Amino acid sequence: MRRWAHRTHLAGLLMLAAVAACRRAERAAPPHSLAVTDDAGRRVALTAPAQRVVSLLPSFTELLFAIGAGDRLVGRTAWCDYPPEALRVPSVGDGMPPNVEAVAARHPDLVVLYRSGPNITAAEQLERLGIKTVLLDLNRLEDLGPAARRLGVLTGRVASADSLAGAMDSLASQPPAPGSQSLVFIVWDNPAIVIGAGSYLDRLAALSGARNVFHDIGSPSAQVSIETIAARDPDFVAVLSDSAVPPRYARRPEWRAVRAVRARRFLFLPGQLFGRPGPRVAEAVRELRRRLDQAP
Amino acid sequence: MKYVLLAVAAVATLAAAVLLGPADVPLRDVLGSPIVWQLRLPRAVLAFLVGGALGVSGVALQALVRNPLADPFLLGLSGGAGLGAVAAIALDLPGPWALPLAAFVGAVSAMALVYRLGLMGGAELDPRILLLGGVAVGAFAAAITTAIVSLAEATELRNAFLWLWGGFSGASWTTVLVILVYAPLPLAVLAAAARPLDLLALGEEPAQYLGADVRRLKRLVYLAASLLTAAAVAVAGVIGFVGLIVPHLCRLVWGRLHRALFPTAFLVGGTLLAAADTLARTVVAPRELPVGIVTALLGVPVFAFLLRRWTVS
Repeated sequence: MRRWAHRTHLAGLLMLAAVAACRRAERAAPPHSLAVTDDAGRRVALTAPAQRVVSLLPSFTELLFAIGAGDRLVGRTAWCDYPPEALRVPSVGDGMPPNVEAVAARHPDLVVLYRSGPNITAAEQLERLGIKTVLLDLNRLEDLGPAARRLGVLTGRVASADSLAGAMDSLASQPPAPGSQSLVFIVWDNPAIVIGAGSYLDRLAALSGARNVFHDIGSPSAQVSIETIAARDPDFVAVLSDSAVPPRYARRPEWRAVRAVRARRFLFLPGQLFGRPGPRVAEAVRELRRRLDQAP
Repeated sequence: MKYVLLAVAAVATLAAAVLLGPADVPLRDVLGSPIVWQLRLPRAVLAFLVGGALGVSGVALQALVRNPLADPFLLGLSGGAGLGAVAAIALDLPGPWALPLAAFVGAVSAMALVYRLGLMGGAELDPRILLLGGVAVGAFAAAITTAIVSLAEATELRNAFLWLWGGFSGASWTTVLVILVYAPLPLAVLAAAARPLDLLALGEEPAQYLGADVRRLKRLVYLAASLLTAAAVAVAGVIGFVGLIVPHLCRLVWGRLHRALFPTAFLVGGTLLAAADTLARTVVAPRELPVGIVTALLGVPVFAFLLRRWTVS
């Protein structure tokens, strides 16, 4: 508790510093075309397209490569493993929370961060070092288009970013595909945690023609009882896993009350493609559809 | 009369636990439904047994350290269990029993450490040393746990904390059987200590004069109560407040004699936890609440009421 209070105090100081920095920046306003408003409500303005970018989320790394700005990347997280070229970019650690010194050591002119409490603090620290930062949401399918557009503006890749964002937006506005199969995403077994409607995976399932049996839960994930899963009786259990080994709980007696677990109807979804929203969402939809079709 | 009411409450709670649930099971199918047999019944029975174990353990530990604030988890057990569970996930130990077993080993290790501290320099399980030792060992274990969580890469570790917060999601007849085989021994040890524990309430020296082997009594009670709690942690995580409130509640109704306190604490604890788990499963359906939240929400007002009674009298 004391540590938290200390932290918020620190964040407050940093915020003051950031406000002061913003005021200075506004006086010499750069050309309008290189400015965006990020998801923390901050105005991010560059004098020239970013040439040295550090991405602190695998989804951003994928987006940057997809809009043709991959060669500007000078730093990534340990989790950024796609596309393969990304692995040649130096890693700045796991990014949770960001190691501000390691990021600054790459001398970036733009750092792209996922908007979260610790990341907002890190962004303020970086701004104090004179490094521009942009905080973006990336939880749902609907976030992909706006994120791509703003990254396009900041890297000067507006045309390709707009066309990618257009594709993402049209996918996001598509109605659920027809289909009669149902599934549950189980992300943890004890207590059972499932994916609800406010999530990327729920939309992915809908676009693939499979119904998430916990679509009525509004939040991205929720704790439920095994009994509820058994009562909803999904056709498949979707598991984020790179290997096709049934999860450990499949052998436990209480889980055998769920028909799909009993019948070993698991869909193994590789984390690299399904574990995060990214420009390959259409590929993920096709892949999930293929797995649903191939299932016995 | 009080005993009859208690028995009725226990049976009614278990019946409600079996009849209520997010899945719609018609009344006439209850006896044949796999949902009831595989999920609800073992879960209700396990919640009852764990609640009973925590209640009894709470009575024993409060008597042992002669402190009304003593809780089965106070003596470092929860910290040790947490360390064990997180280590099991970080090391990716295989098998469905890895997590509960590691939590059990962690809890028992923490308990052994506190026990050792309690005997240092001839302290003979001095309550003050035990309480301080428990806090210190718990803090130490929590520090190592946090270090593992912040250094390890597995995002699954966050879920270890969820598990640790307690719940009966993992209940099955196997877990019920484990408790049924394990619990009778420590329960019997405690039941046999009922009379000497009454004497201990008078103070260690008077108890010794009245014929109680205080040294042996304290060691046996400490080990039995801790082992009982460790088993509860292993199958259900850390469920707070049951072991703290139930002894007070029982002393209020049944007096201070342990011959009456142990059985009633078992039944009251079981009833309370089975009821709390039923609420956890049903009130926010289709979602589920961690049962520890329900016990705290029910327990804190009761506790505040008890505190008021004390300060008034």
